[in-house]
Amino acid sequence: MKLALQNILHDRGRFSVTVLGVSFAVFLMVFQGSLLAGFLQAASRLIDASDTDIWITARGVQAFEFGTALESRVREMAAGVPGVMQTSRVCMAFAVYRTPIGKQQVVALVGADPNVGKRFPVPDAPESAEKMSPDAVLYDVSDRKQIEVAALPAEVEINRHRASIEREIQGYGAFLGVPFLFTSYRNAIRYLDFRSDQAVYILLRTDRRYPLSQIQQSLKQKLPEVDVLTRDEFAHKSRMYWTIKTGAGGAILTAAVLGFLIGLVVVSQTIYANTMENLEEYATLKALGAPQAFVARIVLAQALICGAVGSVLGLLAVVPSINYAKSLIPWIHAPWWLPAAMVVPSLAMCSLASIVSVRSALTVEPGRVFRA
Amino acid sequence: MPNLFLGVEGASVTFGQQDARVCALRDVSLSFEKGTLSLVTGPSGSGKTTLLSMLGCLLSPDEGSVFVDGVAVNGLSEAERTVIRQKKISFVFQAFRLFHSLSALDNVALGFEIRDPAAPGRKELALDLLLQFGLGDKLQQEPNELSPGEKQRVAIARALAGNPPILLADEPTASLDAEAGRNICQILRREVDEQGRTVVVVSHDPRWEKFADRTITLCDGRVEEEVAVL
Ligand SMILES: Nc1ncnc2c1ncn2[C@@H]1O[C@H](COP(=O)(O)OP(=O)(O)O)[C@@H](O)[C@H]1O
Ligand SMILES: [Mg+2]
Repeated sequence: MKLALQNILHDRGRFSVTVLGVSFAVFLMVFQGSLLAGFLQAASRLIDASDTDIWITARGVQAFEFGTALESRVREMAAGVPGVMQTSRVCMAFAVYRTPIGKQQVVALVGADPNVGKRFPVPDAPESAEKMSPDAVLYDVSDRKQIEVAALPAEVEINRHRASIEREIQGYGAFLGVPFLFTSYRNAIRYLDFRSDQAVYILLRTDRRYPLSQIQQSLKQKLPEVDVLTRDEFAHKSRMYWTIKTGAGGAILTAAVLGFLIGLVVVSQTIYANTMENLEEYATLKALGAPQAFVARIVLAQALICGAVGSVLGLLAVVPSINYAKSLIPWIHAPWWLPAAMVVPSLAMCSLASIVSVRSALTVEPGRVFRA
Repeated sequence: MPNLFLGVEGASVTFGQQDARVCALRDVSLSFEKGTLSLVTGPSGSGKTTLLSMLGCLLSPDEGSVFVDGVAVNGLSEAERTVIRQKKISFVFQAFRLFHSLSALDNVALGFEIRDPAAPGRKELALDLLLQFGLGDKLQQEPNELSPGEKQRVAIARALAGNPPILLADEPTASLDAEAGRNICQILRREVDEQGRTVVVVSHDPRWEKFADRTITLCDGRVEEEVAVL
């Protein structure tokens, strides 16, 4: 195996190109993977932040961001279904926001009952440690530029209603390009001119003694004109909408696949060139009695060494890049296992790239050793 | 009749098709005794290398039989012939054919690894061999840093790694000056006398005659003359 290593080290220029090809591929795969992971996470973030079991939406709602109002009676009817313990209301609609200095822009306003979930950003949650007024408005740190408040609390207008921005929160940045504002349910319906008790989503907490699917079934029968989804179903639906129906996921994946292919081509070219250059030595090895497996291992080892070194360099480059990208793309997210997992396709890529080279090394005739 | 230790019987080899057909060996029968140094000589194109390739299990004759260590090897599969090469035969080439990226020591150690990948202590064994050949100060040198004579000594050390009974050399001194050439002759002679190795040298070089037990002259693919030295 030393031969494999030395062959690589002996051709530094080519080795650098190979390693660069691999690191480029790994970089792109991890970066795009983080975009996809972050995108998926962001696409269902508010749904996942609730700790309710069932979400009722208007028929055909594809994603949290595009809900339409439900009829008021839906909540009462749902509450009457056996196994439903608690209902809560969420409303979400686009609104016009006026900054303290009078600039106008569109925002997405989310209002929720305090019992929606511990992680769901509402000002009047019972656990809320730092006291703020129950009708406070919150915004995410990533939207600070667009919100344009100099100090908190700040007096602003939402749909021509006076509102008080009181808190900056973290982790609820959106990828819509439109800032999200969070407030209590009753405050939100005021800004949005909803009728009292009107909501976009009705969230249900259920009794564990009833099977969830059974409750869901009864709700569907009783409320045929709306969609009754478990929380995970709605989260999934929302993620699928954003990644597949908008084509965003496809675009992200295409770039990752492209990175893989470019790496594949670069590595196979350089490994092949190296193999061709050393073909006489492979013939010598065979003449001296080295079995085919021995020869194949050497070629493969060369590819894998390049793969391993390239992967490490790619990862070293991508981690700070993702951290830097967070300031521009707040929702980018690299799960801890993603960089590690990308080593697998990278090594697979190198093995794949060495197939042709292994074949040429295996088919070289040992008999040629006596020919000049 | 018992099998030959090393040799060919009624071997014919042709290369190419139809008009381009070349008859490299015609009905050649030769036996090489264990523990002898045989010199094969003859004009260029007479079939010397072809004969050596057959003895080295690198080439099968179209007709006739080849024996290596008393075993008929024609008819064996490529993998089986590889095992015979691995265990019994080693080669020395005119162009040395060292592994360019490995040091002298690693070249010889790789020789040991090929013969027995599981055997421990390759480095030490390789070191011993190189010291025997007076290369103690060239261990870490790469082939392109060695003189032709040193290269050939490293190549012989690599060939002797793992102690194969048979050594086949094709023009081993053709790329060397007189001094280095004589040195190689002495080394191979010593392997025959002290280790009982069987050596076949193909060469034009007349110097070999006084080191050989027997000289075989090929011409046009036939044995022209066999002279035993007493
Ligand atoms: N692989 C080959 N393909 C075609 N012709 C060959 C091949 N090897 C040897 N020959 C021919 O066979 C004849 C004998 O070659 P060779 O054994 O190499 O002779 P020598 O080693 O005595 O110079 C020559 O005419 C050579 O051209
Ligand atoms: Mg020849």
